[in-house]
Amino acid sequence: MSLAAAFPPPGLLLAGAVAAAAASLWLMLPGNALGGDRRVRWIGAALGIAALAGLALSGRRLGGLGEEGVFLVVSGVAVVSAAATIVSRSPVYAAIWFALALAGVAGVLLVLGAQFLGVATIVVYAGAILVMFLFVLMLAQPAGLAPYDRVSNEPLLSTLAGAVLLGLLTVSIGRLSGEPPACCQVPSRTAAVAGGTTDAAPAAADPGDPFATDHVARLGAELFGRHLLAVEAAGVLLLVALVGSIAMVSRGASVEDASADGRAPA
Amino acid sequence: MNALLPAPATIAALVKIGLLVGGLMTAAAYLVLVERWMAAWVQDRKGPNRVGIPLTKIRLFGLGQPLADGLKIILKEDFTPKHVDKVLYTAAPLVILAASLAIFAAIPFGSVLPPLGIPGLPDPVPFLVAPALDVGVLWVFALSSIAVYGVLLGGWASNNKYGFLGGLRSSAQLVAYEIPLGLGLLGVVLAAGSLKLDRIINIQAETGTWFAFAQPLGFIVFLVASFAEAARLPFDLPEAEQELVGGYHTEYSGIKLLLFLVAEFLHMVTAAFLIVIMFLGGWHLWGVTGSSQEVTWIGALVRFGVLSAKILGVILFFMLVRWSWPRFRFDQLMNLAWKVMLPLGLVNLVTVAAVEEFRPQLVAALGGSTAGWVAVLIPWGVFFLGWIAAGLLTPSGTDNTPILTRGPLDSEHELRDLVVADPIGDRGGRTLVEA
Repeated sequence: MSLAAAFPPPGLLLAGAVAAAAASLWLMLPGNALGGDRRVRWIGAALGIAALAGLALSGRRLGGLGEEGVFLVVSGVAVVSAAATIVSRSPVYAAIWFALALAGVAGVLLVLGAQFLGVATIVVYAGAILVMFLFVLMLAQPAGLAPYDRVSNEPLLSTLAGAVLLGLLTVSIGRLSGEPPACCQVPSRTAAVAGGTTDAAPAAADPGDPFATDHVARLGAELFGRHLLAVEAAGVLLLVALVGSIAMVSRGASVEDASADGRAPA
Repeated sequence: MNALLPAPATIAALVKIGLLVGGLMTAAAYLVLVERWMAAWVQDRKGPNRVGIPLTKIRLFGLGQPLADGLKIILKEDFTPKHVDKVLYTAAPLVILAASLAIFAAIPFGSVLPPLGIPGLPDPVPFLVAPALDVGVLWVFALSSIAVYGVLLGGWASNNKYGFLGGLRSSAQLVAYEIPLGLGLLGVVLAAGSLKLDRIINIQAETGTWFAFAQPLGFIVFLVASFAEAARLPFDLPEAEQELVGGYHTEYSGIKLLLFLVAEFLHMVTAAFLIVIMFLGGWHLWGVTGSSQEVTWIGALVRFGVLSAKILGVILFFMLVRWSWPRFRFDQLMNLAWKVMLPLGLVNLVTVAAVEEFRPQLVAALGGSTAGWVAVLIPWGVFFLGWIAAGLLTPSGTDNTPILTRGPLDSEHELRDLVVADPIGDRGGRTLVEA
């Protein structure tokens, strides 16, 4: 409470940081009006670092020093790699940066106590989907870069849209996340912070802490209790997609056979 | 005030990490020696038995060999070819080793220590780096899927055909076998009701029934899939020496090659840990270790010893298999994954789910011990039926007859396929068909 009062949402700092982030992205994007000079990219990178520092300062404090530090590191990794994903010119590097961004997001989720979501992010995105991407990219482009990888469509408009979105989201979420109303306060979390166990690890030591045990059981009860219908609908949707893709593949083969029969000379 | 000082739990975690990393590295070095002894034993020769204490004539059965090997490979020239992508070439071995070491954060390497009485530490101290991680099994699964990146990037960044082929083969193989691996894990998780590996051991110790006995089908599926995930023979296509020189690490030398080799070895050690923890009861042995969480120092050591002995046994099995089976062909490998292991894994999952669902009714109808036997016998029935079905249907059988001896219609059809598959060579293909 006292920390949140000591750092009121500084609107000016936030606006400046968002503007710097937008300018830095625009300077570093391939295919902007400046023609990809190396020095311009360095200026962009410096602006980006300044923007990150501004965003980190204008945010709210998390609590303990250890938790705060780990959070800043993993979220910094996530943001920097996400930016690098869109500014890098080689698709393979973009995919690797994206993997690093996912690792950062998973780290943020782990720090915030959402263990299942964090690990599932790695399993699903980094472990399965992105490996498929890499597989295809490496197969498809054995020889150098394609021309369409060296430009980006509408760099100015997209950075502006991104900056507006970032500013609006930060402001609105910052307003939302004041002191939670009395109904929704989580007692153990505030108690843990007030009690001085501020390091990330001691929460692990306390088996009575609901933040430390049976995440998965609670998540499962929530998913298969209140959200049963949504889970079932998603499952059916996935099944339909699976059946559809198999049907498309097998029909494609039979069409090819037919066309081959038609084309081949008698 | 004391926020700057690390908490006792942090110090305990660091100590465990140090012990684990040091122990694993030493174990990997000596397991290489064991593997060479095993190779020598199978091939009826002596194997490494000379290197002992340097500058003396003491041989010590060759126990100095790992040290000499390590020194040699570290002191070798770390040569980076001109044609590689330098950043990814350097990053690949680091990624694979970091991922395979980080897996052990969630793997218990013993039971619990008796209470030490240090304030801030949990009371029996668990042999586990991250005891609060509620998703241990998923953590292991996630990080073993990250290991693919090292192989894929190493193969691609080498800019070498053999390396690239090895990387592609490896990623296809690892992605394919992750599915049976996950199905095998799911059966155990379903029966144990927890994603924590130490809890899974505790449940096997409490019931006295290891999951290998309760879920034989899942055990076999998991065993085969973990051989494939560790890329051990008969699944070592990513680095098949006779075809690909060295596979994805063809262009690597010196310490970077060492990192790759250690990571590969650690994959095998991880697989052995998982097999023992999930299916062979972990530190539990009937009549030797109890199931209680209150242990003496001797009890803790005995449990550690039992776990280590089981793991060594599984690793020896891995090594024996290496010299017993030839390598699969790639289509056989894929058929085995998708047409045999995937259905068998699903059958196992359904069986386990059914048994667990109706266990209360079984206990109510038959009484505790009879119900326990029935709950074990049903999966065994399914196991034999499943293997008979897999053997009779033989979906992994392939037509090995040379194309020339098939009927003329077959070969014409095959040429037509060529025409369709190869639009650029369309003209050539058509003339071929006309001829």
